[in-house]
Amino acid sequence: MYRLALNMLFGDRAKLAMLLCGLAFSALLMAQQSSVFFGIMSWTYTPMVNIRAQVWVSDPMVEQVNDAKPLRDTDLGRVRSVDGVAWAAPLHTSFVQARMQDGNLLGPDGKPRSTPLKVGDTFEINDIQARIVGICKVKRAFTGGPFVYTTYDRAKGYTLGARRTLSFMLVEPQKGVTPSELCGRIERDTGLKAWTSDTVIWSWGERSLARNTFWWFWTNTGIPFSFGTAVLLGLFVGIAISGQTFYSFVLENLKYFAAIKAMGAGMGVIARMLFVQAFTAGLIGFGLGAGMAQAIGRAMIEKGMPPFVMYPQILWATFALVLGISFVSAIIGIIKVSRVDAASVFRG
Amino acid sequence: MSHVAHTVAVRASGVDMFFGTPDNQVVALKQADFEARRGELIMLVGPSGCGKTTLLSVIAGTLTPQAGTVEVFGQRLDGLGQEELTTFRRKNLGFVFQSFNLIPTLSVVENVMVPLLIQGRPYDEARARALAIIEKVGLKGRDDGRPNALSGGQQQRVAIARALVHEPPLLICDEPTSALDKDTGAHIMELVRDLSRSPERCVVVVTHDHRIFRFADRIAEMEDGRISRVVDDPKLLDTTHL
Ligand SMILES: Nc1ncnc2c1ncn2[C@@H]1O[C@H](COP(=O)(O)OP(=O)(O)O)[C@@H](O)[C@H]1O
Ligand SMILES: [Mg+2]
Repeated sequence: MYRLALNMLFGDRAKLAMLLCGLAFSALLMAQQSSVFFGIMSWTYTPMVNIRAQVWVSDPMVEQVNDAKPLRDTDLGRVRSVDGVAWAAPLHTSFVQARMQDGNLLGPDGKPRSTPLKVGDTFEINDIQARIVGICKVKRAFTGGPFVYTTYDRAKGYTLGARRTLSFMLVEPQKGVTPSELCGRIERDTGLKAWTSDTVIWSWGERSLARNTFWWFWTNTGIPFSFGTAVLLGLFVGIAISGQTFYSFVLENLKYFAAIKAMGAGMGVIARMLFVQAFTAGLIGFGLGAGMAQAIGRAMIEKGMPPFVMYPQILWATFALVLGISFVSAIIGIIKVSRVDAASVFRG
Repeated sequence: MSHVAHTVAVRASGVDMFFGTPDNQVVALKQADFEARRGELIMLVGPSGCGKTTLLSVIAGTLTPQAGTVEVFGQRLDGLGQEELTTFRRKNLGFVFQSFNLIPTLSVVENVMVPLLIQGRPYDEARARALAIIEKVGLKGRDDGRPNALSGGQQQRVAIARALVHEPPLLICDEPTSALDKDTGAHIMELVRDLSRSPERCVVVVTHDHRIFRFADRIAEMEDGRISRVVDDPKLLDTTHL
């Protein structure tokens, strides 16, 4: 009977196409919106990805990586003397404007350039000349614009003698000391705040600066809300569309299910037929939707906008949701068929 | 076992069936008594709305009457639960409907396989048996087509094949010819008579199509929710008022 159930499903190409479109569209919407959401959120902790130090140390008041509260230069020595520190390096971060030789500005307010920068090009930061000696590809940040990496001393020079320039300290633990262990020691000995640098969203620890940055944006900005609503919208639209299409599939076949029931099929058999139909459609719909999301994501990554991070977990969650939708649809169909009077087959 | 118990296939006595709410009640069957024997083709005739379909549904176990007893092949249907009724139908019944009720998204042979698959027969066996009976109803070669590609008469042939493929002891047909033209209707009844007649099987045909009365062994006439008379020879029935 299950083979016939599948043939019933595949027998009507037009209806099947509609059903699959609904499921695929909802899978696409959910996977794509959540991928963009995580992509955008990953911009908030870009420095953690671009600068690979195992432990970051900051002022105790710092809550996230984009909000540096300057430290005293002497703090570096205090951190270096903590037991288990292999080395500690100073990091200064700030927004600056670079003026290219042609007079164009580079940076947050600058115009986009028509020709890419190359090694040997020069520009000015606060009227101090800088020359490009190397180019690396890094992850972009929330604010956009290029990064200029230089030595700490040069960076200090570009800030025109600002009183405090130490934003973070980058620390490497000695062999045998774990980053979070070292964080504990640094905090105890110096009163500063120490963070680990894990950036993998599913496994990052309590002390991860990336994690704290993520949640800081989560609670303090409207970004998660607007994208979260898009994800939820995708979910609801998906449930509505695929639930509705499957329901109309059941409705159109109600008469035949009633006939099958009259001929002596129990509700158990009919329920399993509906489950087979719903889950098969769900599986194919998910495949199509996830495939489309991948393809769109690839195209987006190539264009660079907007960001797109499709974690396997997103795929699993989408898969589970699509199967959930299939399950609910099947249940609704089963209830519908169970209410149909077998005697109705004799009418019209 | 008595002689009567051996020959009676269906016996309904004192059956009451009402529809609707107590203050807006439709009486479909009122103290209806009906009997059909093994090996016969009995027709249930009468004007539209007199309760033929309702009586058929009661016999088929798809409707449970408010009063009366129904016995099919010695088994009492009143008192059976939904599940037991389902099992009863699966084992004992073949259906032919006025509107064919073939599943349009399945092929002809798949439609005919349904009763066997419901009984849990293996797919290949079901297919072989379905193909054999499709040949008997004269549709060899059409098995992989869709029912909608067939004419009304051909679709009803498929329905007959489906009703008989599992060799049920009771075949019930509700207005099997009323969606068909005269000649096709006669052919369909011929097919029903030729394929379904067997000493053990009982065939109940509901119809108001007097052109097919001649295929009946006996005719039970219905009026206002009860059997008014049973005629042994169809020729004796006065059909002018139907
Ligand atoms: N499910 C139902 N609900 C309400 N009334 C019904 C229902 N089924 C049948 N009836 C009524 O019962 C009577 C007998 O119907 P039916 O058995 O279909 O007659 P026939 O088949 O002889 O034309 C009619 O008055 C019909 O309107
Ligand atoms: Mg009727």
